[in-house]
Amino acid sequence: MESQSVIICRCEEVDLKQLLETAERFSCSSRELKLRSRAGMGYCGGRTCRLLVDSIVQQLTDTQTSNEIPLKHQPPVRPVTFQNLGGGLS
Amino acid sequence: MTDVLIVGAGPAGLSAAISCAERGLQVQVIDEFMRPGGRLLGQLYQETDGSWWNGIEEAAKLQDKAASLGVVLKLGISVIDLNQSEDGWIVYTSTGILKAPALLLATGAAETACPIPGWTLPGVMSIGAAQVMTNVHRVRVGMRGVIVGINVLSMAIAHELELAGIKIAAMMLPAKNMINKDVGDPRKVMQSIVRLGHLAPSPLLRLGSGLMRYSSLQSLGLHLYPKRGFKVWGIPVQLRKAAVEIEGIEKVESVRVANISPEGDIVPSTSRSLPVDFVCMAGGLYPLAELAAVAGCPFRYVPELGGHVPLHNARMETPLAGLFVAGNITGIESAKIAAAQGSIAGLSIAAFHQVSGTEEDLLESIQNLRITREKASIQFHPQVADGRRRLESMFSENFS
Ligand SMILES: Cc1cc2nc3c(=O)[nH]c(=O)nc-3n(C[C@H](O)[C@H](O)[C@H](O)COP(=O)(O)OP(=O)(O)OC[C@H]3O[C@@H](n4cnc5c(N)ncnc54)[C@H](O)[C@@H]3O)c2cc1C
Repeated sequence: MESQSVIICRCEEVDLKQLLETAERFSCSSRELKLRSRAGMGYCGGRTCRLLVDSIVQQLTDTQTSNEIPLKHQPPVRPVTFQNLGGGLS
Repeated sequence: MTDVLIVGAGPAGLSAAISCAERGLQVQVIDEFMRPGGRLLGQLYQETDGSWWNGIEEAAKLQDKAASLGVVLKLGISVIDLNQSEDGWIVYTSTGILKAPALLLATGAAETACPIPGWTLPGVMSIGAAQVMTNVHRVRVGMRGVIVGINVLSMAIAHELELAGIKIAAMMLPAKNMINKDVGDPRKVMQSIVRLGHLAPSPLLRLGSGLMRYSSLQSLGLHLYPKRGFKVWGIPVQLRKAAVEIEGIEKVESVRVANISPEGDIVPSTSRSLPVDFVCMAGGLYPLAELAAVAGCPFRYVPELGGHVPLHNARMETPLAGLFVAGNITGIESAKIAAAQGSIAGLSIAAFHQVSGTEEDLLESIQNLRITREKASIQFHPQVADGRRRLESMFSENFS
């Protein structure tokens, strides 16, 4: 198996090749890469691939790790029901 | 009326709950798991002095003590968001909204992925999942497996699996690629494990703790590294072999293993398939700080602490009023250190509530933490103390 076909985001099934091609074609930030590829937007909320996506962008753009977390955390940080999100529980 | 809400019932959260309750505060602890204890529940290993550290027993002691002090513990509830308001913190959970003037985040750590082709097949799991299945749920993860990724955590858990009668055919590195640069580099891995002298009954590695700090000797060590690896607790630890791919149709059937150079490059035409029925991936740990991030706490990147950590001082205060942190969310260290940080946070929270006479205890507990750190038998990063000092000075530069 070719090594670039390794899956990075398992929830949305995005592989390394797709991420590299997208990042190169659009010179993406981590956030743009996430929005274009859906890597990090699945059920786990990016818990598994967030660091990998950041690291890929960092290496392609040859930048140092910043103090702020590159790929922002968005609430809710766990999957929840629409009822809960809509305030139906409170 | 709750004086303090604590997210996370691991050693940090429970120790903080105890120290708050001892000073008369009304404490509520929430955890999303169905049992209290956090990562303690999976831990079972021998200390440098030969005694055993049994995490399940440690968790029970903390839970009993907290209960006897009137701490309210709620399990199976996830915190999903936070907001700061005029009169304290608003905490959104999977079962409704809670409020408290003080909030402690003690959410622990998560595992870093080290993907190789085939890592999403059924039968592949993180090393932490194997630990929880074995020691908490008492479920056999498989008959014969391989651990991909060599570090302090995977070595400790390999031993736990062996103790449970589960065969580990070998421990090896993940094939080096753009995302596994460090965990796939034999020199870097060697540097981090030579400091675990007591865990490594091989003369070369033990010698390593002293001599192999010099990089020339490290690469010599790697050149001399035996093809079959060293046996640690009967498990071959192979720094010169890498898992190239996990193979199988419906589930794991084998791992394709190749020899690697001291730099981690695959030696051509050396690969062969090793039949296994499970694989554990061990890429390391990072602080699980998502709630501090949504709360708006500033962060700092400190590699010695495992990555991005919420900015905080030695008193476990963040720059946000009433927001405290303790345990692995502040940096990856062992359970005893997480507990000591929890006690400090508890005292700080008492001081925040103007409970009198806490200051002296607080200074003493900060001193105790330094001693505990110096004596720690499990250390995830050799320069953790430097990382801590740097972070504390960054805090005082910005907020004091
Ligand atoms: C897989 C793994 C194995 C480890 N093995 C060892 C070991 O063998 N020896 C060792 O010394 N250290 C080990 N550690 C390090 C370990 O993190 C510390 O030993 C210690 O448990 C940290 O304590 P803590 O209280 O900070 O966090 P934890 O013990 O991790 O507890 C955090 C708790 O917070 C809860 N939580 C997290 N987020 C939320 C949320 N949003 N809502 C509600 N609850 C939440 C979790 O369910 C968890 O119970 C391990 C860590 C991991 C991740």
